[in-house]
Amino acid sequence: MVGFLTTIFNWAQGILGLPATSLADALPWWDILWAFIYFVGAVILLIINVIMLIWIERRAAGFFQERVGPNRVGPLGLLQTVNDTIKLLGKEWIMPAAADKLIYLIAPLLIVTISVTMYGLLPYGPGITPVTLNVGILFFLAISSVNTLSVLMAGWGSNNKYSLLGGMRTVAQIISYEIPMALSIIGIVMITGSLDLGTIASSQAHVWNVFIQPVAFVIFVISALAELTKSPFDMTEAEQEFVAGYHTEYSGIRFTLFFMGEYANLFSMSALGVVLFFGGANGPFLPPWVWFIGKTYVFILFMLWIRWTFLRIRVDKMMKFNWKVLIPISLANLLLTGVGIKIWQAATGAIKW
Amino acid sequence: MSDFITEADGLETQEFILNLGPQHPSTHGVYRARLIMDGETVISAENKVGYLHRGIEKLAEGITYAQFTPYTTRFDYVAGALQPWAWCLALEKLGNIVVPERAEYLRVIVGELQRIASHLVMLGSIVLDFSAITPWTYVFNAREDISDLLEAVSGSRLLVNYFVNGGVNADLPEGWIPKVEKALDSMLKRLDDFDRMVSGNEIFVGRTKGIAVVSAEEAIEYGITGASLRASGLTFDLRKDSPYSIYDRLDFEVQSMPAGDSFDRYYVRLLEIRESAKMVRQALKQLPAGDIRAKVAKVWRPAPGEAYAAIEAARGIMGYQVVSDGTVKPYRVHMRSPSFCNIGIIPAKAPGLTLQDFIAFIASLDFVLGDIDR
Amino acid sequence: MYGLGLLKGLGVSLKRFWMPKITQKYPEVQPDLPQRSKGSFKYDKDTCTSCELCSMACPNGVIKVEWHKDESGKKRLDRYRMNLGHCLFCGLCVEACPTTPKSIDFKTDFALGCWRKEDIYRIWTKSYPAAEAVAPVMAPAATGSPAAAGSAGGASGSTGVASGAPEGGN
Repeated sequence: MVGFLTTIFNWAQGILGLPATSLADALPWWDILWAFIYFVGAVILLIINVIMLIWIERRAAGFFQERVGPNRVGPLGLLQTVNDTIKLLGKEWIMPAAADKLIYLIAPLLIVTISVTMYGLLPYGPGITPVTLNVGILFFLAISSVNTLSVLMAGWGSNNKYSLLGGMRTVAQIISYEIPMALSIIGIVMITGSLDLGTIASSQAHVWNVFIQPVAFVIFVISALAELTKSPFDMTEAEQEFVAGYHTEYSGIRFTLFFMGEYANLFSMSALGVVLFFGGANGPFLPPWVWFIGKTYVFILFMLWIRWTFLRIRVDKMMKFNWKVLIPISLANLLLTGVGIKIWQAATGAIKW
Repeated sequence: MSDFITEADGLETQEFILNLGPQHPSTHGVYRARLIMDGETVISAENKVGYLHRGIEKLAEGITYAQFTPYTTRFDYVAGALQPWAWCLALEKLGNIVVPERAEYLRVIVGELQRIASHLVMLGSIVLDFSAITPWTYVFNAREDISDLLEAVSGSRLLVNYFVNGGVNADLPEGWIPKVEKALDSMLKRLDDFDRMVSGNEIFVGRTKGIAVVSAEEAIEYGITGASLRASGLTFDLRKDSPYSIYDRLDFEVQSMPAGDSFDRYYVRLLEIRESAKMVRQALKQLPAGDIRAKVAKVWRPAPGEAYAAIEAARGIMGYQVVSDGTVKPYRVHMRSPSFCNIGIIPAKAPGLTLQDFIAFIASLDFVLGDIDR
Repeated sequence: MYGLGLLKGLGVSLKRFWMPKITQKYPEVQPDLPQRSKGSFKYDKDTCTSCELCSMACPNGVIKVEWHKDESGKKRLDRYRMNLGHCLFCGLCVEACPTTPKSIDFKTDFALGCWRKEDIYRIWTKSYPAAEAVAPVMAPAATGSPAAAGSAGGASGSTGVASGAPEGGN
């Protein structure tokens, strides 16, 4: 990303005839081409992923509920999502007359843009990380919280009480749950000593972090469910209370974009979980990216299992749980991790008393 | 949430009106509550009913007694088979008809099966209002087994038109009794899974325990009947306290729960399902042979007069007042429907609940809009 | 407490995940319905005596029987019409039918979906040989297809297959 920006900067300098800093590679088409390829790759990955994820979710939900799920369109119902997408694309766009038009229209675009950005950060394996950032985790968390904005925009822009309530809930929920999530990740960062996702993944070649930091893992799963607004934390949509929450007033392609964004986030959040706790792309025999995708999907299935079993928690209890239970536990975990690291260093002779 | 922000902080909040319904996923039909909200907290609630009004009481005056029987299933369509029972009891009182013993047993069997099916719907829909779709499918699958039984005996799955004036309209089909045993077994197994999944679930318990507590006095004052009353610690049940049909020959206990909150209203129905399953098994064991229908003239003209009969339907006391003027058509029909009386408590209990608890509260009262609006 | 109930719930859903499913592949596998299932109606126009007891028993005025008297004063059936859109499926008409076997009866064929509003009517017409047909001739039935009406009277008429399209229009 940084390299890409410098390239553009240099290129513009060259064209404008300014004194070039590195005119040796005056026209770095190669970099731009690669950036474009990465971008297209991320988008294609996102779309395929969303199609697969919706299919998996519906099939898994069916199996939990003594039925079989979609099984008609295509082999095993795999093309069901394609079918549904085509149907959704053909639907009328309805915009409330009193909507805040600009905000209403931008919100679904924003959510997908953010998802694509997050896909660019994931280390799919050694050498196939689209964008390597040395502050990868920070950037990931920062970008994913912009999701809040798009949900709030949708809730506000629709000019609907249900949407607004859903949007407000989401803001409170996601902002609160970002804290235990970050705290659970800091433990990993302390052990690894790096904020780079690739480094964290490769540092778990021998032992997965889930065995070193089990408490952090549990906190991560809970707050990831909250971040994704999946059951038991699906306050955002809460169809029994808010009809469809923030996307009550959306239809057609705009609704599709929200749907896509939701499932794309499910994948990227699970991928983050795999990178942090399950050794990323490490694994024997198979190519690294297969391991990565496979682990991510197993993680997603785990989240779906939770999602399809639990009931929705009450908003104030959810907040109470966050501030009074999760955050103290994660802080205590952090303290223990720090002490543990020092003891380990002393034991291995890295530091002297 | 309102206790965090006070006016002393200089933050003024604005109350707003939320029309919950008539088109809303969790109002169980076209019920509408006009809520005044402060953020997520309900300040006051008002019942708005009548969106499903079909004028059936008036309609009854234009058709014969027999022709009105299938209409009665349309009130509480979740417990269709139980509805004609009250109607037929009123007619039998009016015309002094003695129902054969076997017919009484068949009525109890079908009625209790229908009560099981209805309570299963309630259990499913209350957890569905907590967005738990998986346990919902378990109880609805269990209900399918019961519906199959009802279909085999009466031909309909939902609006079971089986009870007629003077008995029931068909004898049991062949091989039905072993099917009942099998269906009850598989139903109870699914119910146990449901129970394990939901009743101990901390989220569910946390959201229902202590919510919208209706004390026994309040329940009586507001005229609540049925399982919602028994959740407040009372053991009032027409099947025990003023036994109609052959309920006095069955050995069963009236289930009740002490606290009167949403959880108890949910759990007492779960207990009642198990009790009803026992009653069906007992009645099947005692089932005598004989006639299934008393002789009632095809063109039936009861003597002028009136009669009132009530049964313990799935949602409470279902009563019919019938006035006859000696012709083939009723002069006036009025019904006491349990759902209509039960929702009277909503405006009293709603203030202070959050929207989510309000949804859980109205789900725990288990009303059916066809029963409210008629 | 403290999450034990949640774990139990996870156990239940995982157990159900591996258990057999109840989904029926509907159009390929037809449900095995009990004999009494009230799906739709079969009507035997040859045994029907046009007594109109069924139409009188009906609470909703679903059934209309049209008939004429022949030379000997006997009732002859012309058309039997049911508006299934108003039908309660209560079975009072079947109960009222005096013939044995019953002219109007339930069958388990439950697929009642239709595309056009007029398909909601079930109409059985009975046509007579030209020499016998006397007074009210059904204009559409006559212009429709006499062959179809005739064959319906013989083969499919006895089983009462109306199946959507009204025979000879309405």
